[in-house]
Amino acid sequence: MQSIRRLYVAKNGVFADEAKRLLTDLQENLLIKGLTDIHIYHRYDVSGLDDAAFEAAKNMIFSEPPVDAVYDELPVGKDDTVLAVEYLPGQYDQRADSAMQCLQMLTMKNDSLVRTAQVLVLSGSLSADDVAAIKHYCINPVEAREASLDPVSTLEMPWEKPADVPVIDGFDAMDDAALKELSAHMGLAMSFDDLKFVQTYFRDEEKRNPTVTEIRVIDTYWSDHCRHTTFMTELTDVSFENGTFTAPIQRAYESYKTTRENLNRKKPQTLMDMATIAVKELKAAGKLDNLDESEEINACTIIIPVDVDGVEEEWLLLFKNETHNHPTEIEPFGGAATCLGGCIRDPLSGRSYVYQAMRVTGAGDPRQSVKDTLVGKLPQRKLTTGAAKGYSSYGNQIGLATGEVKEYYNPGFIAKRMEIGAVLGAAPRNNVVREEPLPGDIIILLGGKTGRDGCGGATGSSKKHTVESLETCGAEVQKGNALTERKIQRLFRRHEVTVLIKRCNDFGAGGVSVAIGELTDGLDINLDKVPKKYEGLDGTELAISESQERMAVVVAPEHVDEFMKYAAEENLEATIVAVATDTKRLVMHWRDQNVVNITRAFLDTNGVTQHRKAVVVAPEDKDFFKLRKSKTSPRPGSIPWVP
Amino acid sequence: MGTLNIASEQGLAERFDSTIGARTVLMPFGGKYQKTPVEGMVAKIPVEHGNTTTASIFTHGYDPDLAIWSPFHGALYAVIQSIAKLVALGGDRKKVYLTMQEFFQSLGTNEKAWGQPVSALLGAFVAQQVMEVAAIGGKDSMSGTFENLTVPPTLVSFAIAPEHTNHIISPEFKAADDAVLLFDLPRDAEEMPDFDTFKAHCDFLHQAVLDGKIKAMHAVGQGGIAAAVAQMAFGNGIGFAVDASFATQELFNLRYGSILVETDAATAAEWVKRAHVSLVGKTTAAADVTVDGVTISLKDLQDAWEKPLSHVFPIKSESGTGDAELPLFTTYGPRRSEAFGTPRVFIPVCPGTNCEYDSAAAFERAGATTDVMVLRNNTPQDLAESIDEMAKRIAKAQIIMFPGGFSAGDEPEGSGKFIATLFRNPVLSEALENLLYQRDGLALGICNGFQALIKLGLLPYGHVQPLKADSPTLTYNTIGRHLSRMVETKVVSVMSPWFSSCKAGDVHTVAISHGEGRFVATPEQIRELAAKGQIATQYVDLSGKATYDSEYNPNQSVLAVEGITSPMAVSWARWRTPNASAPKTSSRTSLATNSS
Repeated sequence: MQSIRRLYVAKNGVFADEAKRLLTDLQENLLIKGLTDIHIYHRYDVSGLDDAAFEAAKNMIFSEPPVDAVYDELPVGKDDTVLAVEYLPGQYDQRADSAMQCLQMLTMKNDSLVRTAQVLVLSGSLSADDVAAIKHYCINPVEAREASLDPVSTLEMPWEKPADVPVIDGFDAMDDAALKELSAHMGLAMSFDDLKFVQTYFRDEEKRNPTVTEIRVIDTYWSDHCRHTTFMTELTDVSFENGTFTAPIQRAYESYKTTRENLNRKKPQTLMDMATIAVKELKAAGKLDNLDESEEINACTIIIPVDVDGVEEEWLLLFKNETHNHPTEIEPFGGAATCLGGCIRDPLSGRSYVYQAMRVTGAGDPRQSVKDTLVGKLPQRKLTTGAAKGYSSYGNQIGLATGEVKEYYNPGFIAKRMEIGAVLGAAPRNNVVREEPLPGDIIILLGGKTGRDGCGGATGSSKKHTVESLETCGAEVQKGNALTERKIQRLFRRHEVTVLIKRCNDFGAGGVSVAIGELTDGLDINLDKVPKKYEGLDGTELAISESQERMAVVVAPEHVDEFMKYAAEENLEATIVAVATDTKRLVMHWRDQNVVNITRAFLDTNGVTQHRKAVVVAPEDKDFFKLRKSKTSPRPGSIPWVP
Repeated sequence: MGTLNIASEQGLAERFDSTIGARTVLMPFGGKYQKTPVEGMVAKIPVEHGNTTTASIFTHGYDPDLAIWSPFHGALYAVIQSIAKLVALGGDRKKVYLTMQEFFQSLGTNEKAWGQPVSALLGAFVAQQVMEVAAIGGKDSMSGTFENLTVPPTLVSFAIAPEHTNHIISPEFKAADDAVLLFDLPRDAEEMPDFDTFKAHCDFLHQAVLDGKIKAMHAVGQGGIAAAVAQMAFGNGIGFAVDASFATQELFNLRYGSILVETDAATAAEWVKRAHVSLVGKTTAAADVTVDGVTISLKDLQDAWEKPLSHVFPIKSESGTGDAELPLFTTYGPRRSEAFGTPRVFIPVCPGTNCEYDSAAAFERAGATTDVMVLRNNTPQDLAESIDEMAKRIAKAQIIMFPGGFSAGDEPEGSGKFIATLFRNPVLSEALENLLYQRDGLALGICNGFQALIKLGLLPYGHVQPLKADSPTLTYNTIGRHLSRMVETKVVSVMSPWFSSCKAGDVHTVAISHGEGRFVATPEQIRELAAKGQIATQYVDLSGKATYDSEYNPNQSVLAVEGITSPMAVSWARWRTPNASAPKTSSRTSLATNSS
């Protein structure tokens, strides 16, 4: 049996600012009057070290003698309350990961494991309600849980060999009621009509029942997140209330319809059509000649001349905005961090160097009292400060300059926080090769490993948020790993690397199924090759779990070795996971099972088109642009500069 | 100034690194006091080698209240506002591209809910069509509902355009006795903008930028002209007097698409003849604002503006007390080496290092050859090979430079531990010792590299050694967050060869960006370091005096220490390097921060 040692590290008196801030926070914002003091201890459980290495690590890795004290036993007074908090199993823990990397350098072996927890020792007279309130405030159940104070016997993640992916027996014969029950049972995001369409496909075309993986992959593919289901819904009727301010809206609608006629558009009226028709019109008029368009969907791209030491070069300028509203609402740090991480990946997958970011957010009033927080919601203060910490932590770590940070406050954002990241990237145009993948081309997976934390990101973020969300979305929260994405940034800044890449897609929502699935029509994917964070993942999880710092690239077979060499130079893991085929089918193997085998044509239908009507409500008849008199009305004889 | 949506967000913004990569053209807060918010961002294109004068301007437009009142007008003015901001930064509206972000409630089958995105997208469509700009990208999020609450019907417009760095305009007032003009955008009874006037203003102002006629510009946003003028005034402490001809009430109305312009009085006299251009007032040497005979100091305005969010996002930490001034140590150290060819600089890259490009470029500009090497640690075998190779490459170099970043994400709970652990490996410790003391080499650590050198014991002791409980160290800033801004630093010792071309007393404006930048040491150690000339640089105020004032010594380092050297002066560490290119205007906003 491995020996596991435990130690506690705390900041010495004058350096214990974090504990002091938490004390003030709990006293002032949570109104815990009886609380007199807090000590914060970082608890490490460590295995795989001999005595000498452990002693060396204590003052070199786990603590810094000038500011920290190390304890073998937790110092607790007899009336103190102890609260230990740890990440949920499987959640990425950068502290533990970095400690293990440091230990590897100390021992030159990689057999030590580290698990961390944060232990709060609370002094003062606290009622049971106080303790419950503190726990509720300090532990966000979607990412963390209360940790046991008992010694642990193992640091290995317990896992079981997963069962084969089940086939949904009787799917072809299910009636409406049975299909609805299946949809509810599986928590599917697709509409009932979509599910019936899937049933028809498997019954009539494939003449078999689908696997669970297939249903999940289709659900992910057709989610609002990946396919903009709402934006593709056909608007069968658009009407307008009467009013002074609806007149220009109505004229705009007429103008939209005229533009459709001029462009001879036959596709139905949809939000997507309204959002994109101006581009089509300007393009048709020849006014967008520096637009860079391709089959690849990475980011908005224009061609610009760039002066380099007085010589003009042709460059691509890429820009991209993205929200992570839902993840940030339920876990602000990780949600906002991965907002930026995800946003960077798009222009990065376009082989550009991402060099600047903007952050635009929306929140409720962060000064609102914590006790007025709605049930099922985190306090606004916690949301906005946690998200700021998460986004900045990711940007600062990856080394991306954030040039503008703007937060808008409006009570509506209590419904859901708005967390937008927008980034800019650029690359010399000759760095970017875009080619149609050929049968036999190799798909390489680059970067981070897959875990269970990325399951359901696409479908989850498209769902409505209810009181239960905090309890049930556990698997939808991810932590970013900026360090890995930074390695990809370095790799993709190298000309000799990018010219080997025919096409590239990032692992946003949808994981392997979408990132690799979108690369070309025919694919044969071996899920056994997908590197895992830990054992026990089944075929479905490997297929749909998104992860933050992965890319899939297509290279010709003769370039694989060269590409792998470059990846190794940048300290990046690269694995061959799939091959392009001429079948126009998406096929995934796991163990000896064919867990997905469906046609591209079916996937590309994007499900059943939905139909809706829209009524444009008349704006209130008032002078909106005049100084609003509510709070800031000027006192006679003065001016409202200062409230 | 004290309303939530106008209030200063500096305490929020400064936790984000705004200078990494050395591309930043405008800092987020302009002026010598770093107080005028810059509404948008400007960065040089990231050419890997050489210099460029091509920059990108990126802005956004959005007002949630306007969007709630009318999603159509909200989206339309979002587009206009994003373009107005871009023009105010010196950009050309004819080169603009857009991308949009939509965020709406869950629509379900509610027809009126569906009317909201329809209305917003039609507003954006009209703006694009008339302005002849294209939104070539967009993302939608249609899940903004919680029970019976819904998010504002949101469409944020982002605008981008390339521009020559010489044409970039920052928003803070530059001088007293200048005229401030309003280039107004009139609206009709349907609250629709006069697009022709907007286009004419944009084109006229861009030409004026090319002609060098404009000193500062600011697009009018929430809070109207009043808020915009106050923000323009804060950066350099230049006051403002509203002209008697300008109606006071007009100062507070919303007027998206309007732009305030600072220019000299003679130019202004010509420009006011144009349609929809009027004189708002003039800048003043006195640091206050006068309207209708009422005068308020900029300080009171700024206090009111900074107060609403000060408890959520503190702007400053408490200042320590005491005298931080040191006598200058003016004796140059011995020349350490006979002449040799081009010096070779070894730059190790660990997981989380992110300043290596900037650092290598700075050394190359100074004439050195650089050798950048990525540590590989995916397996113990990779690691062993990598360490051996590193030792060999250090043996070929004259300088080792530890660049900035977040090695191992500053974990476990403390910065620089990863690099320190790596270089405590006997092979690398020996290579380092050999470089410094057998071959007359030099070491430099910046940012995370500073932290690593301290945590190795190389600073201040000169050799790799275990840390003691009383060793000087770097720890978390007292404000409890990352700090990114410009600071003034003074060279107080030239003992180290790193300062052979500086004079004691030289002051540089440099970018800092760190979460653990507070230098701590006991009073005895500080005295000893100072006596030996090991305190190389200090944080100083605008008068050049070393200080504990947290405005200028933001991380509250003991004795305002910013950089130190080893006893033999071969190792030096500090925050970011002084700016290599001269500021374009007198304002600090325009520092092209070649921070490395």
